[in-house]
Amino acid sequence: MEFPIFQVPYLGNGMTIALDAVLHVIISHGLAIGAVSMVVCAEYMGQRRSSGAWEVFARDFLGFIVVLTTSVGAMTGVGIWLITSALAPRGIGSLLRVFFWPWFIEWGVFTAEVIIVLIYYYTWRKWTGERKKRHLHLGVGYVVTALCSALLITGILGFMLTPDGWPWHKGLWAAFFNQSYLPQLALRLGIAYELGALFAIGYLVFTRRDRQFRREALAFFGRVGLVSLAVTLLAGAWYFTVVPSAFKTHSLYAVMTSRLSQQPELFRQINLGGAVFLLLFCLLALGRSVISARLLVVPALVVAMLFVAQFERIREFIRGPYLMPGYMYANQVLLEETPLFMKEGMLPRSYWYNATAKKADPLSRGAYLFAQNCAACHTIGGINSIVDRVQGRSADGIYVILGHTQEMVPFMPPFSGTDQERRTMADFLFGLADGSIKPGVPSRFTPLSKGR
Amino acid sequence: MNMLFDILLQKPLPDPWLQGLLFTAFTLHLLFVLFTLGTAMLAIACMLRGHWGGSPRAVRLAVRIAGAFMSHKSLAVVLGVAPLLLIQVTYTIPFFTGVTLFAPYWLAVIGLLIVAFLFFDLLARRLEGHRISSLLLGIIGLLCLLIVPGIFVLILSVSEHPGSWLAIIDQGYRLQGPLLSHWLLRYLHVLGAALVFGAAFHYFFAAEDQEDRRSLLRWLTASTLLQILLGIMLYGLLPIRPAMLVNLCLFAGVAGCVLLLWYLFSMGGRADASLSLRTIVPMAVFILVAMLLVRQLIQNRTYLPFTAALQEKSRSHGREIGAFTRESLDRYQSKLAVVYDNGPTIYAQACAFCHGELADGAGPEAKNLAVPPENVAAVRTTAPYLHQILTQGVPGSAMPYFTFLDRHKLDALADYLNARYQTLGKPGPLPADIPAATLSQAEQVYAQACAPCHGQDGRGTPQSSGYRPPPPDFTAYGLTPQRSFEVISNGYPGTLMPGFGHLPEAVRWGLVRIVGGKRTP
Repeated sequence: MEFPIFQVPYLGNGMTIALDAVLHVIISHGLAIGAVSMVVCAEYMGQRRSSGAWEVFARDFLGFIVVLTTSVGAMTGVGIWLITSALAPRGIGSLLRVFFWPWFIEWGVFTAEVIIVLIYYYTWRKWTGERKKRHLHLGVGYVVTALCSALLITGILGFMLTPDGWPWHKGLWAAFFNQSYLPQLALRLGIAYELGALFAIGYLVFTRRDRQFRREALAFFGRVGLVSLAVTLLAGAWYFTVVPSAFKTHSLYAVMTSRLSQQPELFRQINLGGAVFLLLFCLLALGRSVISARLLVVPALVVAMLFVAQFERIREFIRGPYLMPGYMYANQVLLEETPLFMKEGMLPRSYWYNATAKKADPLSRGAYLFAQNCAACHTIGGINSIVDRVQGRSADGIYVILGHTQEMVPFMPPFSGTDQERRTMADFLFGLADGSIKPGVPSRFTPLSKGR
Repeated sequence: MNMLFDILLQKPLPDPWLQGLLFTAFTLHLLFVLFTLGTAMLAIACMLRGHWGGSPRAVRLAVRIAGAFMSHKSLAVVLGVAPLLLIQVTYTIPFFTGVTLFAPYWLAVIGLLIVAFLFFDLLARRLEGHRISSLLLGIIGLLCLLIVPGIFVLILSVSEHPGSWLAIIDQGYRLQGPLLSHWLLRYLHVLGAALVFGAAFHYFFAAEDQEDRRSLLRWLTASTLLQILLGIMLYGLLPIRPAMLVNLCLFAGVAGCVLLLWYLFSMGGRADASLSLRTIVPMAVFILVAMLLVRQLIQNRTYLPFTAALQEKSRSHGREIGAFTRESLDRYQSKLAVVYDNGPTIYAQACAFCHGELADGAGPEAKNLAVPPENVAAVRTTAPYLHQILTQGVPGSAMPYFTFLDRHKLDALADYLNARYQTLGKPGPLPADIPAATLSQAEQVYAQACAPCHGQDGRGTPQSSGYRPPPPDFTAYGLTPQRSFEVISNGYPGTLMPGFGHLPEAVRWGLVRIVGGKRTP
């Protein structure tokens, strides 16, 4: 429609965003919020107990965090935006308008965050004596700005699943403080501090030598980990009570995918196992067991990160056919456009198709219809390949299914096009599945060649 | 373009405000971008001169310069949030079009900057001493870093030239001709500016003595001269005749540059003199603002009329789809009420359009299918076999696999079918008894006509398992006698199953019995 087509070949659009976003969430929650809070706590302990070990630990740990957050953390964060700009410009462009002011304010908050953390980092050795107390205040100030970031971003994320009354009256406040706002905020903070405590324990047991300090600090971070684990689990339960059942019921499939969807018991076992493992780890840390912390902290971090990935996957997946609920489907077609396209056709209204493609060629017609209708989620030959999905179906079967995608697969958007266009795309997909059509440039879906 | 409307073209603020904010935010962002790039280039230059030109002093300067990288790059990134937001909101269509046309490059920015940042942070810690590793870190980091402004300039240049978009696609998503030269000069102009601002910054904050300062002054002077040269060439390649206001700003900027050069030369001559921060900062800010105003004014001349035309078309499209707003909101609301966690809902939504609400195989789509949907009410199968059909589909027909519904859902569906139609029961008794002679006649028919595909044991044959659709496994799957008789008599359309209507009715009933008898519990 408005923009030239691009899809990340093989990996697919969704997975590209997901990989970047999960990495970002781990760093932004775990390091920028969680771990820096641990640094501030450690600095406070150092001052209260006049302990050099706490003080030096806090300073060194901060150095590690600053390097990672200002490079990988910052760039994966901007990266989510850069990727969506290229892969879903209409979606991100519309979201930017609905949430223009939160986004703009977020700019100020981000900037403050970066400036404060840089000052906090660079003045650590310089501010001594009386100014040392002020240095600690700086750390607290940073944590406050980081929490403000979380306050702002959560609204936008929650909107994409639970838009409240926005689809009807388009009000910003309802959209921002939507049903899932508070539980999601609590959940994200729980995850942040859980990860923060685990990162701190990892850094502690692998870089510190002082036995007395190690045991003392381990117990402290173990306590933080335990409390945040409890918060995370409670908030997670709370979160899923506010998600509409129509969406929530796909959570299990979101995680297990087609491959494992028939073994639902695995889902429960793995999650239960992960939670119990984290619980035991925190208890062992509380019991000051340095050896078990050394052995288990990396697996514990991996488990916690997998929980993060799982949550984000569920949240992003179950919002199902919508990119903006009640307004735009995941394939960037507006809900109101679908009936129009079904009546009058999608291709005649596609600027880029008409400007560039050979109109008479059914292959490019089919490819373009696929690109616009399906390629937000399906690749050709990569992850979630459409070839696997339609494999074995008859051409008329594909045609029929295309007309009922949203009833048959409740998290799929409808096909937006006339009956004739649906037939064209069905033939295209059938050709892909039986191997008679071979894709040319997978990222642009053109040109496609007819094989032998 | 004939379909732009919607939220995508709404403005959260009046245009002058958006442009004012964009200008301010972009200026701040660019300032730190220039510091970052300049810092990186100067640090590497000093490092090379130090490590390979045998000047330990240059290494020390390189260390101090590189030390500033962390702050500059962090601020450059974070200050970029607002300009990115504002340009996407102000110049939505041209900007996103530029991005999508060169999407692979755009996406590469993430990886390039992560590598560049990590390498430079590492470099700053180990520049002294580690010659080879710091060379590698520095060169790779610098290359990654320097590609990025090239990509941003590319996206901006392309989005400012809507007339070139179709040609870019025709050329296989590449730049050619005058636009390529324009891009190259503009890119070099950014790098030159980075050297000017980087050298000026480090003149005051990294140089420790007069010799450091002299060296940075040389960089500053040379890059300012280079900027003037590049600027003249860029001006010559401007796509449109610049307006009066543009020329005015440009004149002011050039005057500022000349003034700066004069100041630099007058200071460079004297051994003991040094530049004053209070003189340089206003000059640099003045030049930056004037030149960026030139940039934005030129940008507006191509963007604004283009965007206005789009908005007009978008409004007409908006009127068209406006007729469907109510309907689609109602549909959205009713969708929220449908929960796929129970058999009746799943059947009604995902099965009935083919198999029919009464499960008689007469759904609204049945007429479109060469292989008609089965009369589900007549199916008599086992739970595992039903699950297998649901998770594997029936190849060669429309029947898809339903693994997108998890096991709980498919079990609920099976329970529902069984409760309503006894789907998981046995085929049931025949309407009438069959004489032994007829039955043995039917046995013969089965062996000759049916077994080649269905197998003597009813499980199919190796060959027939490749048919599309393949025959079902009679030991686990059957139909009610009535339906079975129908299929034997008329065949199954669209499949290799022929009709045996020419056989006596009693023999066909015999076949029904034989087929049903293959069923194991």
